Amino acid sequence: MTATERRAILFAGSAHIALFAALSIGWQFASSPLPPADTAMPVEIVDTAELARITQPPTPSAEAAPQESAAAAPQEDAAPEPEPAPTDAVPPPEPAKPKPQAAAPKAPPGPLDTTSLASLIDKALPKSKIKPLDTSKLAKDINAAQPQGARVDPRAAATLAQAIQAQVAPCWNPPTGGRDVRKMTVVVRVEYGRDGRVIGVPVSGQPTGATAGNADYARAFADTARRAVLRCQPLKLPPELYELWQSVEINFDPESMA
Amino acid sequence: MDMRILLTLSLLAAPALAQNAPIRVDINAGIAQPLPVAIPVFAPANAAATEAGTPAELGARIAGVISADLKSSGLFRPIDPAAFTTTVTAASTTNPDYAAWRTVAAQALVTGTVTANADGGITLACYAYDVFAGAELARQGFVTTAAGWRRAAHKCADLVYSRLTGESGYFDSRIVYVAETGARTKRIKRLAVMDQDGASHRFLTSGQNLVLTPRFAPGSQTLTYMSFEGNRPRVWLYTLGSGKQEALGSFASMTFAPRFSPDGSALVFSMAVGGNTDVYRMNIASRAVTRLTTAPGIDTSPSFSPDGSRIVFESDRGGAQQLYVMGADGSGQSRISFGEGRSASPVWSPRGDLIAFTRMGGGRFGIGVMRPDGSGERLLTNGYQDEGATWSPNGRVILFFRSSRSGKVDLYSIDLSGQNERAIPTPLDGSDPAWSPLLP
Repeated sequence: MTATERRAILFAGSAHIALFAALSIGWQFASSPLPPADTAMPVEIVDTAELARITQPPTPSAEAAPQESAAAAPQEDAAPEPEPAPTDAVPPPEPAKPKPQAAAPKAPPGPLDTTSLASLIDKALPKSKIKPLDTSKLAKDINAAQPQGARVDPRAAATLAQAIQAQVAPCWNPPTGGRDVRKMTVVVRVEYGRDGRVIGVPVSGQPTGATAGNADYARAFADTARRAVLRCQPLKLPPELYELWQSVEINFDPESMA
Repeated sequence: MDMRILLTLSLLAAPALAQNAPIRVDINAGIAQPLPVAIPVFAPANAAATEAGTPAELGARIAGVISADLKSSGLFRPIDPAAFTTTVTAASTTNPDYAAWRTVAAQALVTGTVTANADGGITLACYAYDVFAGAELARQGFVTTAAGWRRAAHKCADLVYSRLTGESGYFDSRIVYVAETGARTKRIKRLAVMDQDGASHRFLTSGQNLVLTPRFAPGSQTLTYMSFEGNRPRVWLYTLGSGKQEALGSFASMTFAPRFSPDGSALVFSMAVGGNTDVYRMNIASRAVTRLTTAPGIDTSPSFSPDGSRIVFESDRGGAQQLYVMGADGSGQSRISFGEGRSASPVWSPRGDLIAFTRMGGGRFGIGVMRPDGSGERLLTNGYQDEGATWSPNGRVILFFRSSRSGKVDLYSIDLSGQNERAIPTPLDGSDPAWSPLLP
């Protein structure tokens, strides 16, 4: 969190607290006799079918509607697409420049503070401690280890695996503090295009340690792995070795988390 | 023959495998940080006014409550709405512009609509999306009175929290505590109840009698507490709906430290008889009382395991206060806390895996946790005097009170990880908090 953001949030937070405190204290002391104890406030939960009927969104629901950005954002159950996803939908690894020249002025009342906007966006991107990969050197190493036409040298695969690990791990934000933390691992199978972008939707296997009792946690856990793969792309890997890394299985295991 | 076919097959397969066998990558650590979430103002689905405001006004307030809830957990980082590059209308609520949300680095998106219903109530439609996967994660509708909009917002926040963390939520819950005012020697203590986020604060008792240790019954509609009413310290019941207060039993001796069983059918409490304080259990319907401990000394602060089969309590039978676990019928009492200092006021986590307690030693009080067998002890807080732990309904957050040298007492919460310590603002001083279960 940047200092600016923290200040902004603190200010907004304290303003809300102050407002609430003022309101509640004022109200508490205004009523000298104790107010009657309230009863339960009913909140009825409606199911999704009923919800769709009640709210009647003018557009079809997410399941039914073709997404505007369908190619960039395929449905969970969609089959992997043969082509790489479009490249404009994913934030670049560099700090993003504010983009919304057209849309921005009408949304907030004031003009956008572009510096703070940039810092907001920058903050949210994972800060990789890894140096930019020298893919030509990597390719050279791997080629050296791999005689032409031979089967994949295990050392070449290990080098590529390290490069992928270094690029994806900074985007993994695993759940913390849950009861089943560190008891669960999940393997995600990813198909990459030649440009290093994920093709289709990464497929998560069944997490290890998943039981009937922790199905919700297992689902959330698998989602964090999928999110890591989708956030940290395109991969920067030697294109001449594409055949070696077009299909990757990533095992997410929080064993080394503090 | 068979051998030859196999050999041919494997020769053919070898180059294909070399091409397609996926590389195996192991990732053993990530970067745990609050999840950036965008929570744009909930869109009005119509313009009819309710007693709590128009759907547009409520939509803004509801987004604010959800944002504050998620932020307070320490697991989410609501993105400053000033950075948003798109607005959400009722029409686009179910068809998010994922690309626009990716540009502000939102990983999750929470949207919804507010509809003013013909009966004066509202319907809150709540949606959660995974921005990078471009997929809906959850949706739920909540129909309530206009005045119930806060609870609907908390339920929406609980939906988002549980879908993204895999743990149940805790935002639609209440806190009862002892509100304190006045000089140290003439302290006025009143029962007070508020929403988990401090809203809807109310005093329940007048302050004429000293009250201590309020605890919720499982349905959150009944409290038990200890009051000095009539200068007789006794366990009482308080019904929130009616405001009815009732002394529990007519014991000649002082009764205190009450707590409900998980099914609400029984209370455990301490009673001091002839200089010996023991743990007793009362069936609330029949008022039949069973004595569970008999050891000389003070046995107190009983707390049930969530399955109702065991009870943890504190006892000084071994010299200093320590924690003990026994069966719900008093059988098999065994000590679980050891080491330097004393351990007191144990509370069993609602998810069953841990016991929170107050650790005292070396002039400091801290809130600690340990497993029910006494292993894995660790201190979460370290204040001048931290005590009175109570668990969030999902067993993830601990609320406690902290006394300062000046005598001021305040409520604090801390995540089970030991992170995210937060002061809980109350109109007066606050002590002895108890967190309700999730509201029905």
